[in-house]
Amino acid sequence: MNKTWIIIQREYLTRVRKKTFLLSTILFPLLYVGLIFGSAALTEGSKETLSIALIDNSGYFTKEALEKENKVDNSSILTLLNTNTSDSLDLEKEGYDGYLVIPALKWQEGVNNLSLSTYKSYGRGSTSVIEAKLNRIWQGVLNDSLQINQDQQAILAQSRIGFVTRNVNDVQADSNFAEGIGYVSGFLIYFILLIYGSQVMMGVMEEKTNRIAEVIVSSVRPFQMMLGKIVGVGAVALTQFGIWVAFIFAVYNLGKESGTSMGAMADAVGGVQKLFTSVNMPLILSFFAFYFLGGFFFYASLYGAIGSAVNEDMREAQSLSFPVTMLVIISFVMMTSAAANPTGPVAVWGSIIPFSSPIVMMVRIPYGVPGTVPIWQLALSMGMLVVSFLVTVWFAGKIYRTGILMYGKKASWKEMIKWAFRKN
Amino acid sequence: MNSILSVQHLKKYFESQKAVDDITLTIDRGQIFGLLGPNGAGKTTLIRMITGIFYPDEGEILLNGKPFDPIKDVAQIGYMPEERGLYKKMKVGEQALYLAQLKGLSRKEAKQRIDKWFSRFGMESWWDKKVEDLSKGMGQKLQFVTTVLHDPSLIILDEPFSGLDPVNSNLIKDEIFRLAHEGATIIFSTHRMEQVEEICNHIALVNKGKKILDGTVKDTKQQYKLNQYKIEGEGLEKVDRITAPFTVISETENGIRVQIKEGNNQNAVLQFLIAQGVSIHAFQELLPSLNEIFIRLVEDSPLARTFDTP
Repeated sequence: MNKTWIIIQREYLTRVRKKTFLLSTILFPLLYVGLIFGSAALTEGSKETLSIALIDNSGYFTKEALEKENKVDNSSILTLLNTNTSDSLDLEKEGYDGYLVIPALKWQEGVNNLSLSTYKSYGRGSTSVIEAKLNRIWQGVLNDSLQINQDQQAILAQSRIGFVTRNVNDVQADSNFAEGIGYVSGFLIYFILLIYGSQVMMGVMEEKTNRIAEVIVSSVRPFQMMLGKIVGVGAVALTQFGIWVAFIFAVYNLGKESGTSMGAMADAVGGVQKLFTSVNMPLILSFFAFYFLGGFFFYASLYGAIGSAVNEDMREAQSLSFPVTMLVIISFVMMTSAAANPTGPVAVWGSIIPFSSPIVMMVRIPYGVPGTVPIWQLALSMGMLVVSFLVTVWFAGKIYRTGILMYGKKASWKEMIKWAFRKN
Repeated sequence: MNSILSVQHLKKYFESQKAVDDITLTIDRGQIFGLLGPNGAGKTTLIRMITGIFYPDEGEILLNGKPFDPIKDVAQIGYMPEERGLYKKMKVGEQALYLAQLKGLSRKEAKQRIDKWFSRFGMESWWDKKVEDLSKGMGQKLQFVTTVLHDPSLIILDEPFSGLDPVNSNLIKDEIFRLAHEGATIIFSTHRMEQVEEICNHIALVNKGKKILDGTVKDTKQQYKLNQYKIEGEGLEKVDRITAPFTVISETENGIRVQIKEGNNQNAVLQFLIAQGVSIHAFQELLPSLNEIFIRLVEDSPLARTFDTP
């Protein structure tokens, strides 16, 4: 065990001292924040003004009413045309993006089957604005026709019934925060499994390429060598994660003390702080640690086994690791579905099956235990993860022992499985 | 107990071949033992079992008379594999410290020994260099140092001179002699037979997983000599070759190479030549090289033939 510790130290220190570690520690949060703001800016920039011609046969849609609406929201412009049909006009040439014909109708009936004809395709986001405008005008027409005065209108507008969801079994769990924190945890585990899993693979490949594997194996058991690498790399991942958390708290406290100038930033981090107090944070953190470690051992040992079975060629490694990477990506897809519906069948089974449980379970836990995740599911998921990572570590150790000393052609999955079940 | 290592009926079969097929040999303390054989003969597999990397299918390995324990006995063995290398991005000093610690040395002790070895090889200034900045010869020297750093009683070198220039080869060779003199036992595995003749005092020849010969270099050469001699002198061309107790194999610029006929000895040859009036300048026995012996053994043995037709 002492030698495994020496290996862990080396694996850890050589990685943490590298410049790339420092860079990725700094760049990843920046990139993540940039991605959020960037995509928000992009959606903002890509909005365009829709110019729609309105051909009104009912007489309810007046020019004044349309202009009033256009002023309130200028993301779309409605223009009244003084004609009965659209047939004789080439509206596209005149700069319109589309037109809408309103038939003759009575105010008591309303109309549901209008069609907005456009020259290009538009998403619901753009067209729903036009629908809302027409509805507001129609509401005004109805108010006038029913002779509802201002006060009555105000009552109608305000008076409605609404509710928010509260899980009575978990009074602490607030579904908005739960979804947010679940997403972040799931995404972090996904990220760590992919990035650090392949780091284990590359590390093993490096040892093979450098021809140092046999030198080391003459001093320690191959299993110790593999375990040392996995634990060392896992510790690097934890360190990086720890730095991020510490950074968030540091900025938060700094922002609180320096008052106004840092106020905006403190507000942003304050959201994080609120997140941390609104859900059961110690519970979530301890499960995060468990699922992080379980998932990491599960995948890193598989990646390690693959690294031992290939030579220096990156393409060989990629083709061999494709099935494993697919498992991680499938888990991520399951996670997005589980975040929306944390008690649905995808969420339940995804959080129990070992290969996806580290990612999927993490989006469910913030919703509450045992409210959303019953104890039996949690116990089954944890038990199966422990059993299966023990199996993959054992399996990978057998492959590793043979693969690390093999040079020449790369092995297939079939051969690797044969190695695993061969006696010494 | 004079033998440091003894392997008995060792077997290791892989799916496609019998890598080591019932090999038994004993190596005495302080010996420089040459393990010879062509590529693919099973040398590396045999060594991997002795170093605990592979478990034998059958048979027994005794180290110092006790069953070999790969985990406990690791500090006694220094192994430099044929496929050797170092971490390229690591500094020389850290690399040596790391490998020494894996052998069970404490950090402090490792540091002392590294200092001693580095000064012996003039490597003191390398400490902070990265391994990737070393030349190939320098890398091999570092590799050798890391192999013997923990003072192993059994040193196993697989093709130690491959890729080394003559200067560095000699340096390593001298160290091998010095270590053997200080009491270490050295197993020296190679397919380059000519290298072994000058270094080893005991050899074993391995082919296709079987040991085909085992003995001292001197005895082996005597055993497989063909009674061939090189003769130089004046008047050799006039000798009556029909009545001579030898047949001429070849003629060289200065003389002839002969094969002594059955039932005669070298004295008979000399007497015959003197009687014929030849003035002899040189008379030397031609001992076969290990390479020749090996080729003869492999080609002649029915063993080799049965192996050729699987």
